[in-house]
Amino acid sequence: MQRVLTVSLNLNAYQIEADAYAQLEAYLAAATRKLDDNPDRAEILRDLEQAIADRCKQGMRKDQSVISLAELEPALAAIGEVDGATQGASSIQAQGSKSDHDALQQVSENAYISGVCAGLARSAKIDVTLVRVIAVVLLFISNGAMIALYLALMLLIPYAPLNPDAAPLRTLPRRCRELVTALRAKLKALTG
Amino acid sequence: MPDDTGFNAIRKGLLEFVVLKIIGSHSVYVPDILRRLAETEFATQEGTLYPLLSRLRREALVDYEWRESDVGPPRKYYRLTQAGESRLSSFDGYWQHIDQTIAKLGR
Repeated sequence: MQRVLTVSLNLNAYQIEADAYAQLEAYLAAATRKLDDNPDRAEILRDLEQAIADRCKQGMRKDQSVISLAELEPALAAIGEVDGATQGASSIQAQGSKSDHDALQQVSENAYISGVCAGLARSAKIDVTLVRVIAVVLLFISNGAMIALYLALMLLIPYAPLNPDAAPLRTLPRRCRELVTALRAKLKALTG
Repeated sequence: MPDDTGFNAIRKGLLEFVVLKIIGSHSVYVPDILRRLAETEFATQEGTLYPLLSRLRREALVDYEWRESDVGPPRKYYRLTQAGESRLSSFDGYWQHIDQTIAKLGR
């Protein structure tokens, strides 16, 4: 003889034997964990609960009122583990490019020299021309300190990944990128 | 069906478009989708399909309506939105393009 529990699946009551209940609870707990950061978690769980209920019902005899392991196990097997990683390529890409645009990186594609101004403009969301005008003004009034500052930023700020769809880089940005990348590699070899 | 071991990633990546294609013809509910897919190499399960459909809805490519059912609670019937239709047709174009690219690359 089995103890019977009453559970609510998608807001409908079902009676289920104790050992089947334990398995059901484990399945739903795993599903909840997998969908942890999914904004539709509650809805997907309701859908799954309904699918479980439907499949168990199909497996039950007409005169049977309690769900047992005999119905639950094949039902869970047919529904399968929850795929937590169904974020499509498009949304992965969208997330990637969004964080790229917030981070301070040098942007070689729009660069005159190395991409420092283009990178500052992109991460501060202001027009690159404005950044360049300020940089040129500072260059003239700063007695060369601006040149040192530019070189320092050029060495310190990481480069954004190249956009494969864009036209090839102009000579100077390409040279700067190569030079700085090589310098950084040397520095890393020396220190590490 | 040809041997499809080793092509898991391809099937997985295409599932979204195959589902859009199935929904494209008329409004369907999940058991319909599962049944149509079961005969193909894209056979899948609720555990995969529901999270996928939720995401497609969040991206406004599909929408659903509730319909009464003779047995049990109302069912969700999915259909394509305008954006879903255009995603599907651009997928068809893109697929042909990929096909030609692969053919051009040789052998």
